Amino acid sequence: MEKTSKWKWGKYRWWVFGLFFLTWVSITYIAVPIQPHIQVAPERILLEPLFTLPVLGDFYLVNTLPALLLVDIIIILMALAVKKALQGGNLVPKGITAIIEMLVEVLYNMTETSAGKYTKKVFPWFATIFILVIVANFTKIIPGMETIGVLHHSDHGYETKLLGGNWFTILPVEAHEGDGYIVTPFFRGVSTDLNFTLALALIAVIMTQIVGVQTQGAGYFSKFLNVKTIFKKPALGFIDFLVGFLELISEVAKILSFTFRLFGVMFSGTVLVALMGSMLPIFAPAGIFLFELFMGAIQAFVFGMLTMVFMVQATQGHGEHAEH
Amino acid sequence: MEGELIQAAKFIGAGLSMIGALGAGIGIGLLVQGALNGMARNPDAYGNLLTTMILGIAFAEAIAIYCLVVAFMMLFVL
Repeated sequence: MEKTSKWKWGKYRWWVFGLFFLTWVSITYIAVPIQPHIQVAPERILLEPLFTLPVLGDFYLVNTLPALLLVDIIIILMALAVKKALQGGNLVPKGITAIIEMLVEVLYNMTETSAGKYTKKVFPWFATIFILVIVANFTKIIPGMETIGVLHHSDHGYETKLLGGNWFTILPVEAHEGDGYIVTPFFRGVSTDLNFTLALALIAVIMTQIVGVQTQGAGYFSKFLNVKTIFKKPALGFIDFLVGFLELISEVAKILSFTFRLFGVMFSGTVLVALMGSMLPIFAPAGIFLFELFMGAIQAFVFGMLTMVFMVQATQGHGEHAEH
Repeated sequence: MEGELIQAAKFIGAGLSMIGALGAGIGIGLLVQGALNGMARNPDAYGNLLTTMILGIAFAEAIAIYCLVVAFMMLFVL
């Protein structure tokens, strides 16, 4: 008969119990979770616009701008850490530099199997988009990111309670009309802003066209305006012309698809965390956060990989065969 | 009465627009079936197949996300 091991309690059981207790105490006595006010457009921190441009309109200080600043600072610090680690002359890095090196190597190998001789043109876009989106998605989950903020007057608001100093907490009691407050968080995940995802999508698609022109010359545009066979064989030439027009529409569809894929995944994660946090605050949000981490990483990878694949397709002509 | 009718219509619209996620579920199931078949026939190709499967799942899920975006627009924006 085989030996079965005795079941033991976990090694970190006191940590887990301590965190449960801390959560319970903070939920009952300090800050009761309520369902926050969710809106698709990022909320304004200051209610007056910062400046006004003549044609474009007002520019407000929005939720996602401090978060974008934080993401940029984190990426710059990562780059500085890598620079300092490489200065010692040690060829085998340790610590965070090792992780970044592994990441860059995996991405470079993936690019090399698809792109062949155009790897040096395509890889920077893939890696930049991947690192930016993955850091943006991971900083969204830090506790306190989407919960600590400014109180604003609102029509369907809640009452507040003073915690000390200038800090208030919101009670789950509906206030009288016109007297309540809602929280506008200081930070909100950057990828939940349609402006950010639209900008990344536009950059990806426009740079794809530019890479195509750089490698194929002006003949790249014959993908869209295909008039080569329209005089020799009119019927097939006409179909080729329609296919070219369809390619043009497909480019616009790529912009929309990039934008809404990233925005949809991240925004639905935000809504899910908000609702789960107000309904089952003690243990269930942990599972949601794990799911969020996974989905954030996958979406970053998909965005970068699609950009890379489209760029590689742009370097290949109409009748060429791919060389690997 | 008018405001409540509009609110009820918003909820019904959001619920109806999520029926489109059915296609994504079926698509992801077919994808994983194909990937598992390939991995069972050829266990050496595990890494390659896994990467391609994850990429395909993200594509199929994007369609469900479009349905979700329309539902959100109905609930929170319009």
